[in-house]
Amino acid sequence: MQAGKFGVGVYNIDGSLYAIANYCSHEGAPLCAGYVRGTTEFAPEMPDQIRHVREGQIARCPWHQWEFDITTGANLADPRKRVRTYEVDVSDGQVYLTA
Amino acid sequence: MSIIDANVQPHFRYNAEIRRYLSAPHKLRSIPDVEQQWYQAPGGDYRQDLYGDHYPGSDPDTVARHLFDEGGVDLAILNPLTRGNIADYLLNSRLCAAINDWLLDRWLEPDTTGRFLGTIRVNPEDVKGAVAEIERLADHPKMVQVGVPLQSREPYGKPMFEPIWEAAAAHGLPVAVHINGGNGVDHAPTFAGHAFTYPGYAAFMPLNSFVHLATLIIEGMFGRHQNLKFVFADGGYDILTPLMWRLDTFWMSMRDQTPWVDRYPSEYLPDHVRFCSSAFDGPTDDSHAERWLNYTDKADLLMYGSSYPHWSTSSPDTVVAGLNDVQREKVLWRNASDLYGVASHVEGSRS
Repeated sequence: MQAGKFGVGVYNIDGSLYAIANYCSHEGAPLCAGYVRGTTEFAPEMPDQIRHVREGQIARCPWHQWEFDITTGANLADPRKRVRTYEVDVSDGQVYLTA
Repeated sequence: MSIIDANVQPHFRYNAEIRRYLSAPHKLRSIPDVEQQWYQAPGGDYRQDLYGDHYPGSDPDTVARHLFDEGGVDLAILNPLTRGNIADYLLNSRLCAAINDWLLDRWLEPDTTGRFLGTIRVNPEDVKGAVAEIERLADHPKMVQVGVPLQSREPYGKPMFEPIWEAAAAHGLPVAVHINGGNGVDHAPTFAGHAFTYPGYAAFMPLNSFVHLATLIIEGMFGRHQNLKFVFADGGYDILTPLMWRLDTFWMSMRDQTPWVDRYPSEYLPDHVRFCSSAFDGPTDDSHAERWLNYTDKADLLMYGSSYPHWSTSSPDTVVAGLNDVQREKVLWRNASDLYGVASHVEGSRS
């Protein structure tokens, strides 16, 4: 949705609403134009040692494929490289974002 | 200041001397000469003033005089070359064992001063044999590392090598990677094939270190083995920073493909990686040296290594030219002392 300078992406993940800035912390790409998907974690017991987790919770930047957890704004490789998050409220069909 | 020389190549007195240390079934096999190499250094591979009746670097008393008495070194890590990757990998393992027995017999056991420490040479193309050789000699108090060739037909991060690294780590022995002598069954020395001249070979050969290093990180070898340490003994640290930047950058984008890499690739370096100095690495202008060494915290990674008796042998003074006092101390002895656990010896010899 249009909000602020770059826009904000609002996501419905299993019935809960989350919002992140449409601005990648790397080089300012339109983050919300990328895929929403899951991510991987190390699973030594699996044949490929990879487990797919957090499906529908990860925004992937369309430029350089950085991964962000939509629910926290944290970058999965380096948590210090966060993307901004907003509180989302819906009232009478209107979506309110709180910075 | 104390000085540890972390890279010395002791030699046989003559090529056939190795046969005295081989068992009967292998004694009469053909074996590459140590200097069988298609790229010849100017004037030969070894310092011309060291050729005499026997091979350069082959007489312990002469080496001790050059390193300790004249060079001011307190402690030297001996890492003899073997004879390349030989197609008969079982024969090659016996050659490594013969070289280890020779090192003990001619260098380590006769030395009563405790200034020579040694390397257990193993053949990575024979994983079982390499593990057995580590188990045979790891408890010898003067054997302080495991040695493997830089030349390899697979990068050392591949899981096929893991039992060797696991055995080394279990005994607290770093693994030193050094260009081998004797031309064997090897890939071309550069990624683009065979260099035209010796400078082309010498300039690009150390890049192969980075291929081993990158795979050790990315394939999770360091992550799985907290105690595993690699020493790249032929330089290559001058290209470390740009290539680590590259690896860190790609990891940010494709971390999901290797989730076992749980930190920036460059963050594995302090706990797992060291380099020995090389005459060819570093800025040609000493006024850049101090700042240059700080990139990728190389002052914590670099150890003085002379490459004696190689033609490009470098003295401690030339290696630390332009460095500040803290950097000099780390490079000349502290990093090696920490890695090999020889602090008591070095402290004891400080004047």
